[in-house]
Amino acid sequence: MAEHAHTAPPSDPELRIKALESLLAEKKLIDPAAVDAIIETYETKIGPRNGARVVARAWTDPEYKARLLADATKAIAELGFSGAQGEDMVVVENTEEVHNVVVCTLCSCYPWPTLGLPPVWYKAAPYRARVVSDPRGVLLEFGTVVSDDVEVRVWDSNAELRYLVLPRRPEGTDGWSEEQLAALVSRDSMIGTATIPTPAPGAAP
Amino acid sequence: MPVITKDLVSVLINTGGSTRVAKPVAPRFRVGDRVLVRTLNPEHHTRLPRYARGKRGTVEHDHGVFVFPDTSAHDEGEKPQHVYTVRFVARELWGPSAPERDTLRLDLWDDYLDPAP
Repeated sequence: MAEHAHTAPPSDPELRIKALESLLAEKKLIDPAAVDAIIETYETKIGPRNGARVVARAWTDPEYKARLLADATKAIAELGFSGAQGEDMVVVENTEEVHNVVVCTLCSCYPWPTLGLPPVWYKAAPYRARVVSDPRGVLLEFGTVVSDDVEVRVWDSNAELRYLVLPRRPEGTDGWSEEQLAALVSRDSMIGTATIPTPAPGAAP
Repeated sequence: MPVITKDLVSVLINTGGSTRVAKPVAPRFRVGDRVLVRTLNPEHHTRLPRYARGKRGTVEHDHGVFVFPDTSAHDEGEKPQHVYTVRFVARELWGPSAPERDTLRLDLWDDYLDPAP
């Protein structure tokens, strides 16, 4: 026998969303097919692999990196990523002296074309409230230790600019291809809550 | 308001809609200026976080002219104006227990700012 009843009702938020969606559809305020198309786009086409390609290109092409830091919107569009919530982009670079981390204290502003839709914790009040006042404490909870001699620079992106962190390229990746490098780049490293660990020796190429 | 149909989805996602305004509006501040964030407590929509009100910072970048959300959100006009990245030291915002080195950047519209006395 299964421990859980097979007919457990959906959670409250799920029921609320279903009710809202069917009501909006009934009133002809939304087209359910359009809603499905939006969800499918962000589930299968647009996500943090896009941002990882931008990062890997910047690591391997100094001229691209210079363009990216000077005009991120244009440089990101070179790789084919642009559109909603990426209209006005800024890329901020992690260095030996600075560790950047991005938040939207107002709600959930996030660079969709490069990172997709934000994770739940990014939209949650505890992250938004605490990462501005105690970024080092929050980073520690993500397993990210920033040394005292490095500046933690918080970017509160609740205006019209959208931010992508250019993480530091890990040691031991000399000679790696752009594709191999892109595979190392995590979503959280481009939000700034994580860094990219040095790959195990012999991991690639 | 027109309903977004399935055919429109990819167009909307791929083009987006910047709130940047191509109008020559004079900036009130220059990079390097010291600014004091106004203490405002509007009942309506604002992009001015409470933690920054009454705090001092330095203009680090001028991003150009954008629609002002505090008015446009209420159909009171675009009121286009400059948006700046303002740099704050963590101690200005959070007091002496914040690490000396740490900072915060926040993008603010002209109407949120006064010159720091």
